[in-house]
Amino acid sequence: MKNLHRARAELVEQELVYSVARFITMRWLAGLGVFAAAWFLGSVIRVPSPVAPLYLIGVVILAYNAVFYFVLRRILRLNRSNTSMFRRLTELQIGLDWMAMTALIHFSGGAESPALFYFFFHIIISAILLSPAATFVSAAAAALLVGATVLLEYTGSLPHVSMFAGPSLYDRPFSVMGVMILFVSALFVSAYLASTISSRLRQREVEALELSRNLQRAYDRIQTLYDSAQTINSTLELQKVLDRIVRRTAGAMNVQACSIRLLDETGTKLLVAATHGLSEAYVRKGDLILAQNPLARQVLANVVIGIPDVRTDERLQYPADALAEGIRSMLSAPLMGKKGPLGLIRAYSADVDHFTDDDVSFLAAMASQGSIAIENAMAYRALGQLDEMKSKFILTVTHELRSPMSVIRSLLRTMVAGYTGALPDSQKDMVKRALRRADFLQTLIDDLLDLAAGKNEMRLKEQRGPVRLDEIVRQVVERHDTEAGEKQLVLEYRLLTADPVTIIATAEGIDRIFNNLVSNAVKYTPGGGSVSVVLDTENGVARVEVRDTGIGIPEDSLNHLYEEFYRAPNAKAQVKEGTGLGLSITKELVLRFGGQIAVQSTVGQGTSFIVTLPSAETRAA
Amino acid sequence: MANEKILIIDDDDDLVHTLRLPLEAAGYIVSRAASGAEGLEKVKTVDPDLIILDVMMDSTTEGFHVSLTLRSPDPSSEYKAYSQIPILMLTSIHTTTTLRFGPDQNYLPVDAFIEKPIDPAELLKKVREYVNK
Repeated sequence: MKNLHRARAELVEQELVYSVARFITMRWLAGLGVFAAAWFLGSVIRVPSPVAPLYLIGVVILAYNAVFYFVLRRILRLNRSNTSMFRRLTELQIGLDWMAMTALIHFSGGAESPALFYFFFHIIISAILLSPAATFVSAAAAALLVGATVLLEYTGSLPHVSMFAGPSLYDRPFSVMGVMILFVSALFVSAYLASTISSRLRQREVEALELSRNLQRAYDRIQTLYDSAQTINSTLELQKVLDRIVRRTAGAMNVQACSIRLLDETGTKLLVAATHGLSEAYVRKGDLILAQNPLARQVLANVVIGIPDVRTDERLQYPADALAEGIRSMLSAPLMGKKGPLGLIRAYSADVDHFTDDDVSFLAAMASQGSIAIENAMAYRALGQLDEMKSKFILTVTHELRSPMSVIRSLLRTMVAGYTGALPDSQKDMVKRALRRADFLQTLIDDLLDLAAGKNEMRLKEQRGPVRLDEIVRQVVERHDTEAGEKQLVLEYRLLTADPVTIIATAEGIDRIFNNLVSNAVKYTPGGGSVSVVLDTENGVARVEVRDTGIGIPEDSLNHLYEEFYRAPNAKAQVKEGTGLGLSITKELVLRFGGQIAVQSTVGQGTSFIVTLPSAETRAA
Repeated sequence: MANEKILIIDDDDDLVHTLRLPLEAAGYIVSRAASGAEGLEKVKTVDPDLIILDVMMDSTTEGFHVSLTLRSPDPSSEYKAYSQIPILMLTSIHTTTTLRFGPDQNYLPVDAFIEKPIDPAELLKKVREYVNK
């Protein structure tokens, strides 16, 4: 209500300032009007009475109006908000106007004067600018002044100025009395009507102002809710989300402080998670133990609860601390997650009984919106922890699964090579079959682990740096020399550029890409064929082509080539073991390093995979 | 047949077995240490012509420490006399290219890598590059 009073005072003040200025402007016209009338009466109609006093009255009016004009300008420059100054100025103006009017009436015929009607203007002005009581006082003053003048003229104490020829009104006492009674009653009726209308209008204006302020506040809150939704959800970091919620809530509700408490893992107490506007000491006062805190229990049961007066409420666990902090009232709303309560949000005010119904619904809205953001952030944090566990798991599995597999394969190879004594052909065949299955299992493990790692974007954290593409491709090709030799394949590596080829990637990733392509080429090319790997650079792009004269890829299969676990039918017929993961991993890696992969193939003639990767210089540019 | 000595430092018995068979068949005298610490001891007693060193033993980088100790540039190092012995490091396929090595002390001080799984022919080829046979 304090605000409303102030609003009303401001309105009256503004009105005063504008009106005073307006009346000064009008008075210029009034002064000039008196001049014009004096001239008209004296020079055109040539009335018998002297017009010099009328000229004088005009001069006086213009003179004091000039004074008011400068005084007003000075006041406006100095201090705008001094209402009493404007009020005094208004009263002074009306008083001087009364004098001038009375003089004017006297010199223009007293009760006969047509200027009598001008008194009504001032009644209306008073009603607009002053209180109803002051308006009635004005009316009484006008009645007194005019009444006294007319009486004095009637009794002869003042000379009667007869404007026009003919019998004087003063010769007919009842006519004078009639004029005066009507004049005075008209003054009071106008005062009553004008002040009633004016105060009713002012009342409505204040109501309209209050309404528009309420609307503005409602709009501000909706805006805050909307903005909060945007900013709160713009991060998934839990602490940031919580901090933003408390800051925004305190700001929007215009309260001293705000806090969020979240349930701990045991669900038995609420721990402070974020605060705004609370002292360190208050924050550290202790946790809210649900068993000892009926208020918190109620809130967590999904009710918004206000504490209108901290001093008298017995539901608080730490009333003394709250009082010491300067908190007089509180409002708490539950933060409800999908699976139950997460905690509560609380707004603190320094005023007793601060919170309105609007505040209750606003805090509830903030709380439900905040809950979503908090839950998202919590889920994200849990995901991060899961991801970390996963990468640890993958590392462990990598070692624990790969090591024994590679030992098994080493043992079998030593056996096949004859170091354990010559094997009969039937046994050698069995061992070779076992070795082939073991090789396949190793590939499967490697591929699955790679895929798992890739799917989790774990490798985004990997250290990328400049790596020598030409060197890695050479090592990959050399790795397949033995196998190519056994199959009587020509395996060649051609480097068509003299400069070292550096790209930004990981050596392991690049090794994997070309190891997959070269090993496929060797695997699916029949004996007597050839596999060539050609590296060239053009316009800052490194281009590696792995071309073979192998079995080729059917047209139908080209579209599915990079799908996980897909294997072309002719590939399956040729080599039974295969995971169907190699090419999907290859493509993923190429894309990850900002490159592209393309394939051309004709069944029965051969296949060519072309990988392009931006060179380190291009990337830097 | 000369009697060049090869020291295998590896904690995996099975793997040592696959290394030992072809090497002994080729006439090398093979000793074995099951940990980095034992390996460093045996370097002194055996004084091998070549060392085959695994990376992961008790710790995931134990092999790196062994190679760094043997090749320490410190003039007072007790392994100064053994710093010229060639070292072949056992690694898994695909990890080879991520390891940097060379004469520069900032890198891993080994001479070459042997990729697991062990292929006897590849193994002997690599060994012969460093030990005259």
